[in-house]
Amino acid sequence: MNKKKDKKSDEFSPKNLAFSMRRVMAIALKTINQFRRDRRTLGLLFVVPMAIMLIFGLAFSGEVQNLPVLIDNQDTVFGMMIEENLANDTRVELTAGDYFEGVEQVEKGDYYAVILIPANFTQSILEIQAGNTTQANIYLYLDGTKPTIKGSLLGALRDALDETMGNTGISVVQELAFGGAEFSGLDVGIPAVIAFVLIFLLVIVGVITIIREKIQGTQDRLYATPLRSSERLLGYVIGLLLIAMIMIALVLIFGVFVFGAKVQGNVFLLIFAALLFGLAHVFLAVFLANFAQNELQAIQFAPLTAIPSMALGGMMVPTISLPVWLYPVSFVVPLTYGINLFEGIMLKGWGFAELWVDFLVVGAMCLIFFVLAIITVRNRMRD
Amino acid sequence: MLATEIEYAIETQDLVKIYKTGKVQAVNGLNLQIKKGEIYALIGANGSGKTTSINMISGALFPTSGTIKVLGHEIPRNRRLITNYIGLAPQDYSIYEDLSLEENVRFFSRLYGMSKGDFEPKFEELLKILRLEEKRKALVKNLSGGMKRRTSIACSLIHSPKIVFFDEATVGVDPVLRSFFWEYFRSLKDKGVTLVITSHVMDEAERADRIGLMRAGKLIAEGTPDELKQKHNAATIEEIFIELSEGEIIDE
Ligand SMILES: Nc1ncnc2c1ncn2[C@@H]1O[C@H](COP(=O)(O)OP(=O)(O)O)[C@@H](O)[C@H]1O
Ligand SMILES: [Mg+2]
Repeated sequence: MNKKKDKKSDEFSPKNLAFSMRRVMAIALKTINQFRRDRRTLGLLFVVPMAIMLIFGLAFSGEVQNLPVLIDNQDTVFGMMIEENLANDTRVELTAGDYFEGVEQVEKGDYYAVILIPANFTQSILEIQAGNTTQANIYLYLDGTKPTIKGSLLGALRDALDETMGNTGISVVQELAFGGAEFSGLDVGIPAVIAFVLIFLLVIVGVITIIREKIQGTQDRLYATPLRSSERLLGYVIGLLLIAMIMIALVLIFGVFVFGAKVQGNVFLLIFAALLFGLAHVFLAVFLANFAQNELQAIQFAPLTAIPSMALGGMMVPTISLPVWLYPVSFVVPLTYGINLFEGIMLKGWGFAELWVDFLVVGAMCLIFFVLAIITVRNRMRD
Repeated sequence: MLATEIEYAIETQDLVKIYKTGKVQAVNGLNLQIKKGEIYALIGANGSGKTTSINMISGALFPTSGTIKVLGHEIPRNRRLITNYIGLAPQDYSIYEDLSLEENVRFFSRLYGMSKGDFEPKFEELLKILRLEEKRKALVKNLSGGMKRRTSIACSLIHSPKIVFFDEATVGVDPVLRSFFWEYFRSLKDKGVTLVITSHVMDEAERADRIGLMRAGKLIAEGTPDELKQKHNAATIEEIFIELSEGEIIDE
C-alpha cells in the first residue's frame, strides 16, 4: 500500500469511476446557461403562453352577441334562476324547447347549443348542501367547432351559474358541483393553457437542448470524458425541470394577474402537480430527442405532440363530446390528466383525495417515459 | 498497477472501422505503437481515416474489430477509467456555441471532477498560453475559427491529461501562433505527455517526433521525419506522400 503511494509521479489511479452528482450538476447548469442565452427559445417562453392565453382569454370576453341557444328547463327554483340569468345575458338569445329536438337542431346548425336542466337539479343542490352528494348536473350539447363562440356561450352559462349560486350563498361549492364532465369545456382557459404550454415548451426546449449536443459534436466529445450516460440524462432532467419551474411560475403569473384566473385549491399542490406533469414531459423530450437529427425536426415534435393533445385532451372539445371511437384515446393523451389536475385544483378546489387517480396516472407516465428515455439514452457510444 | 512497465501509451492491432451508414471501410487494419512522451503526427489526405482512428482510440467511437490499448488498458472495455487521462480536441471544435469560453472550459473541468481550486490556476495558465485572456467572457459563437479551435484545445487540456489527441488542431491557426503551439506541445512532451496530432497539411509533420502516413485507413509509411526522408530520398514529407500514392488521385 505504502509503496504505491510513494511513486506518485506515474501513478495510475482509477478515479472518477463512480456515479457523480457533480457531473450531473455540471450538465444541469450547462443546460440552464444555454437556455438563458438562447433568445429565440426564451422568446417562445413568453410569446407562446401569451398568445394561447389571448386566444382563449378573448373567448371569454363576451364579444359575441345573441347566440341562438335552446333551453329545456325541467327544474324549479335554481333552474328557473339560471334560466332567468341566462335570458338577461346579451351574449345568448334564449328559446325554450325540448332537449332531444334541440340536439338535432344543433346538429343542423339552427342553434349553437341546447341546455338541459334536469328536474332533480334543485334537489341535488340541496342534497349537496346537506352533504349527501357531490354531483349536480346540467347537460349541455353544443357546437364546439368555433372556440370564440363556444367560449362566449360557456362564459354566459358560467356567469348565470355564478349569479344564481352566488344568491344562495354556495358559490364555492358551485365549482365542484358544475365542474363535472358535462361541463369540463366550461373552464377551458387557464388550467388547460398551463397544461398545454408546459407540454409545448418543454418538448421544444428539451428536444432542442439534447439535439444541439448532437449537432455541435459535443455529444461525441462527451463520450471521451468520464461522464456516464445516466449522469448526462439526470443532468438534462434536472436542468429542464428547473426551466419547467420558471415556465410554470410565468404561466401562473400571467394567468392569475393578467387573465384573472383564481386558484381555489392548494397552491403547493398545484405546483407539485405542475412539476410532476412537467417531469413526465421532460422525460418524453429526452426520449423524443433520439428521433430528431436536427433542430428543425426537433421543433416539429412540439406540434406533433401538442396538436393531438389539444384535440383529444379536452382542450378544444370536452373529452366527453369526442366521437365514441375517439373517446378512449383521450385516456392515453397526457394532456387529459394535466387538465384534470389543473382544473381540479384551480377551479374546483379539489385536493389529493379527489385527484389521486390523475396523480397516479401522471406518475405512471413519468415512469414510462423515464424508462423509455433510459433505454434509449444508455450506452450510446457512437457506432 | 502495471503502469511503470508499459512502454507504449497507445497500441492498436488490426484496427478496423466500417461505418454502418456509409459502408465505407474508414479504417482498414491500423497497427499503431505510440511511445509515452512522444509527439506523433498522423498525416493523410481528407478521408484517409485519421479522425475515425483517433475517435476509436479515445473511446468516443466503437471499433468494428481489432484491439486498442491505451496506457495498457483495453479500449473500449476500460474506457471510463482511461478517459480521466486523455484529452481530445475534435476536428470540428465540439464546444458549446452559446456558452462563454470560460463556461465551456469550466464545464469540462467539472466532468473530470476538478475542484474550483484546481481549475482556476490551470485555466489561467491555458488562457495565457493560448492567447485567449481577453476573450474569457466572450460567447463562443462570437469567436473566430482560430479562437474556437484554441478554446477547444483548452477544454481538452484542463485536466492535465497524460495523452492528448489534437485532431487537425493547427488548421486555421496563424503561423506565428502555430509556432507557439508547437513550443507548448514540446513543453507538454517534456512533462511526459504523449501527443497525437493529425493533419492533412504535410509540412506540419516535420515538427513531430514520429510520423505515420495514412491512406485509405492504413499506415503506408512510418518513422521519424529524417528516417522517412532518407529512406525515400526525398526533401519533404509531401514528396514521399506523392511518391507512395503514385498515380492515384487523392480524394479531397
Ligand atoms: N459518421 C460517419 N458515417 C459514415 N462514414 C463516415 C463517418 N465519418 C467518416 N466517414 C467516412 O470515413 C472515411 C474516413 O473519414 P475520416 O476518419 O473523417 O478521415 P480524415 O479524418 O482522415 O479526414 C471517409 O470516407 C468518410 O467519408
Ligand atoms: Mg478528420
